[in-house]
Amino acid sequence: MRYERIKMAHGSGGGLTLELIEEIFAPAFGMGELADAALLEDGSGRMAFTTDGHVVKPPFFPGGDIGRLAVAGTVNDLAVMGARPRYLTAAFIIEEGLAIGDLARIARAMRETADEAGVAIVAGDTKVVERGRGDGVFIATAGVGFVPEGRDVGSHRLVPGDVLLINGTLGDHGMAVLSRREGFELSLALESDVAPLNHLIEEVFAAVGDELHFMRDLTRGGLAAAANEMVRHGPFGVRIHENKVPLQEDVAQYAGMMGIDPLLVANEGKVLFAVTAGAAEEALAVLRRHPLGARAAAIGDLVRQPAGRVVVETPYGSRRLLEMPVEEQLPRIC
Amino acid sequence: MDTFRPDLYRDPDLVAGLAAKIAGKAAQIGRKVKIMHICGTHEHEMGRHGLRGLLPENVEVLAGPGCPVCVCDQLYIDQAIALSQEPGVILASFGDMLAVPGGVPLEGERRGDVRMSLLDARARGGDVRAVYSVFDAVRIAHENPDKEVVFFSVGFETTVVAVAALLLRGAPAELSILEANYYTPPATRLLPSLPGFDIDAFLLPGHAAAVTGIRIYEHLPREHGIACAAAGFEPVDQLAGILAVLRQIAAGEPRLENAYPRVLAEDGNVKAQEKLFRVFELVPKRWRGIGVIPESGFDLLPEFDRWSARERFKGLLPEARREGEHPRGCRCAAVTLGQSKPSECPAFGAMCTPDDPYGPCMVSGEGTCRAWYLYGAGDGSLEVRA
Repeated sequence: MRYERIKMAHGSGGGLTLELIEEIFAPAFGMGELADAALLEDGSGRMAFTTDGHVVKPPFFPGGDIGRLAVAGTVNDLAVMGARPRYLTAAFIIEEGLAIGDLARIARAMRETADEAGVAIVAGDTKVVERGRGDGVFIATAGVGFVPEGRDVGSHRLVPGDVLLINGTLGDHGMAVLSRREGFELSLALESDVAPLNHLIEEVFAAVGDELHFMRDLTRGGLAAAANEMVRHGPFGVRIHENKVPLQEDVAQYAGMMGIDPLLVANEGKVLFAVTAGAAEEALAVLRRHPLGARAAAIGDLVRQPAGRVVVETPYGSRRLLEMPVEEQLPRIC
Repeated sequence: MDTFRPDLYRDPDLVAGLAAKIAGKAAQIGRKVKIMHICGTHEHEMGRHGLRGLLPENVEVLAGPGCPVCVCDQLYIDQAIALSQEPGVILASFGDMLAVPGGVPLEGERRGDVRMSLLDARARGGDVRAVYSVFDAVRIAHENPDKEVVFFSVGFETTVVAVAALLLRGAPAELSILEANYYTPPATRLLPSLPGFDIDAFLLPGHAAAVTGIRIYEHLPREHGIACAAAGFEPVDQLAGILAVLRQIAAGEPRLENAYPRVLAEDGNVKAQEKLFRVFELVPKRWRGIGVIPESGFDLLPEFDRWSARERFKGLLPEARREGEHPRGCRCAAVTLGQSKPSECPAFGAMCTPDDPYGPCMVSGEGTCRAWYLYGAGDGSLEVRA
């Protein structure tokens, strides 16, 4: 560990978060390969199991709230492992003074999002902490899902030549939350993309099956974190074509103004797919027919060289690196 | 008005056209040409768009002292840290400044010659807040009437104008300013006098010049025969600036050129200059790793002393500069002067990364080392990390 105390950047989803996981938690718990959820065998099939903490500030933001975020985030962690999400639990850490009406609104949003995803919230816990010890409410979730027979997605299947697809514009969630943060208020109508993606993912499986090699939801750290984590898994690199990455005009403008690269910003309704070149077109067509994939695009591919790096090809024919996000891009957005 | 249309100034066809013209001019010149910019935003945008990769082999663009965070004297950082540890004080700083090491050694933490930063001060209980401008500090002062709010005013002539405007119309009594503001034009007087200086042209900082105007750089072509163009930051802007100085060099007529006319008036922003000098005076200031440059810093004029943190906290501020401008082994001084590339520093990418910076040039969003780490050298060679 490079630091003796926790810094905000340890929660950024970037290099320090990875360091924390790889040097503290993984050895302590004896964990092997790290992914969005654990895949467990019990003889009758494979189960995916995950857990997630949500500390977004503010808890209500354009396009969603912490409740929808908690359910969608957990569902998506399971779905990108190839699982069909089924059951969730939720623990609430509530700050003294939170309006009951706000809590009810959050609970309703959780139920609605769970219905949308087709999952049930089956257990929970409640704790209250003194005023000043929490930002309204924190939610910790766990979720389980089941991987259908014969389905195999994961980093072990990544090979050079795989095409990278995303289901829409990047950076919407992070910029929407930031636009409502104290001191950053903007009149732009930015909305979070927070949504459960399991149905969308099922349709891609139905269309291309085994040609789908890998998925990752693009939350904290955005595309930059996901792509850099991918290249840790094998002797290949990621190539991104910058002009193929879909961005909402307002997001691009606001990010430009703030000096923030949208490729590093969190999403809560975007998934990165790696599919074989032969299946890319069909997968893209399926995505674009789905309401949560209207602006889907093929944004790059896995290349042999340079291995271990994420390279962005600019619209000018020049190249640059895309690094793991550093420091607090935007604190507490998910 | 298309002044801020990024689609236009990032147009691939325009970029390709300019690159071709640059290649033609460079071939005509037929020798190595070294161009220095003195603005961190130039460096970052150059890296982000890979612009060095679009230049011919005999045209080299070097980063000079263009990062206010990197040149901020470590004594000011130590003073800000000291104030942050005072009970009842809120220290408001630009986020860029928080991780910059000052001069006070941190025993037993991390590796190497580690110095304390404002982040370390915050981890030790200091109330340190990241702000986007002095007006955020005003808001914090209004919200905390029982606290003293100190704004750590770091930056070049562009950022200090906001402080001047604020103090002219009156600021809360609980607010005070710790000045660490630098004025860039005098640095360009120093650079040509350095041993081994062999720069053919300057790309002048478009935003800073929008305040100061460009005439202040007249000595460069006149006294030193250095070609000059003030340039903006988008790919088209930077390449237009590079083409402008190449044309001057090819013609053998170095002069001062405004290659950013859509934003920049030659006289600059006269109103802003007037405000600036009603509140601040130019004083000699120490640039980290460079030394004291006459008339290169802004201090509050005596009539604004009531908002001076130095006056208000007299006796509490450390006055003695710690030994060693930069941590041992850090080449930020040479990098800041364009004498060393980040990739030539042994710490770069190894013990100095944006996650855990060792020297100031890796900390700041304007720092050259950070740009090289994040984007590569900007010339398509991507293997710059150790």
